[in-house]
Amino acid sequence: MPRGLIHSEKDDVCVATTDIKKGEEVLCAYLENNSAHVIVKSMDDIPLGHKIALRDIKQGEKLLKYGRPIGMATANISKGQHVHVHNLKSMRWGK
Amino acid sequence: MMTIKGYLRENGAVGVRNHVLVLPLDDLSNAAAIGVSKLVNGVVSVPHPYGRLQFGRDLDLFFHILSGTGANPNVAGVIIIGIEDNWANKVADGIAKTGKPVEVFPIEGYGDLKTIERASRKAKEIVQYASEKQRTEVDISSIVMSVKCGESDTTSGLASNPSVGVVVDKMVDLGAVAMFGETSELTGAEDIVADKMANQELREKFLKIYKEYVDVIEREGVDLLGSQPTQGNIKGGLTTIEEKALGNIQKLGHRKVNCVLDYLDPLIREKGGTLCFVNTSSAAAEAVTLFAAKGSVLHLFTTGQGNIVGHPLIPVVKITGNPKTAKFMSEHIDVDVSDLLDLKISLEEAGERVFNYMVKVMNGRLTAAEVLHHEEFSPIKLYISA
Repeated sequence: MPRGLIHSEKDDVCVATTDIKKGEEVLCAYLENNSAHVIVKSMDDIPLGHKIALRDIKQGEKLLKYGRPIGMATANISKGQHVHVHNLKSMRWGK
Repeated sequence: MMTIKGYLRENGAVGVRNHVLVLPLDDLSNAAAIGVSKLVNGVVSVPHPYGRLQFGRDLDLFFHILSGTGANPNVAGVIIIGIEDNWANKVADGIAKTGKPVEVFPIEGYGDLKTIERASRKAKEIVQYASEKQRTEVDISSIVMSVKCGESDTTSGLASNPSVGVVVDKMVDLGAVAMFGETSELTGAEDIVADKMANQELREKFLKIYKEYVDVIEREGVDLLGSQPTQGNIKGGLTTIEEKALGNIQKLGHRKVNCVLDYLDPLIREKGGTLCFVNTSSAAAEAVTLFAAKGSVLHLFTTGQGNIVGHPLIPVVKITGNPKTAKFMSEHIDVDVSDLLDLKISLEEAGERVFNYMVKVMNGRLTAAEVLHHEEFSPIKLYISA
């Protein structure tokens, strides 16, 4: 059973659909293609609904969800890390 | 063709509830209106803080919302109570066009107690008139509905919103009207919404409305970071307004938007189904109040972290995709689609679940918000008062 979902194949993040503990291996399924999935090892505790990075992302890089940029990394983010307000910000507001 | 059992009103509009409304015209008239609702069984009052010294477009919007609320097809008849009768008569004239009974009771020259007595005698008559109205078989295409999300989280974009999108597609295909709004919460996806417009004219009108909203924010010199997304949204995993907007628009389904309404525009139905953008606030009660004033008789409300809003006159169906919210706030949730997160059901099945529940509510089943007295009535105000 997947414990995370990914909206689009281009996406940089997986959304946790259960609470995930640091160090757990998480199976993330793609919504666009149910038979495809990736497994990512979580580097943080990730609460249900929060995002896990699927790749290393450099500070200043745009991050994709729904196949669209949802914000810009404010710090380097490693694969498996929690992506949230501490390391991602809007490109519209909070400039 | 598909039918439901609704209330056919004098002007041909169809309601799914049969309320008698006592409408206070202004803040000063709330006490008398509540007085009538305590004396007479079967009337609903909608206290609110406005109706004094408003002006310009704000005043026009106030009249639009009050007249539209009384004209809503879920309302069988209306009593209006106002400190002065000139503005109250203007609202009454708007409601009277629907053909339903409406009468105004001014407080000046009478005082509250005499007004409550006079209004209660008339309210009693209207309640008895309304009690004879029966549900009849009507085509579902006569329904006007609306959608909005609140206390959203990432499960809204994954599960509850796309489920509602399936319902919106189905209702539009059946020839009904579905309305959506939340102007501020389209930020980051406004180009996608613009691309969904059926023609260039609607596209320009939508972008003009959206730009006006952005201009207000900039003129006020504020940054909405911290309030959009809200703290509840952030707790639920949403990080930026762009992410929230992309989740939000999953509710819109896949049909072209063939109607764009600014605050004061009346609803015009398109043949073959109508999908309508309405310029609204993103605050739950304000948006639902405006949708109801535009004629929505039923609202689908998706929530992630657990928004509990209702409306005095239209059923608000709560849908969640968050298994924790479904469990810990179960008394507020009408439809749980959280099993979509485990991929145990398909999106089509989830949409079917929401649709079937909505039909039950149209036929008379009460929503959680109705049973729990969630009767939020919140007219939008644009300016400071004169």
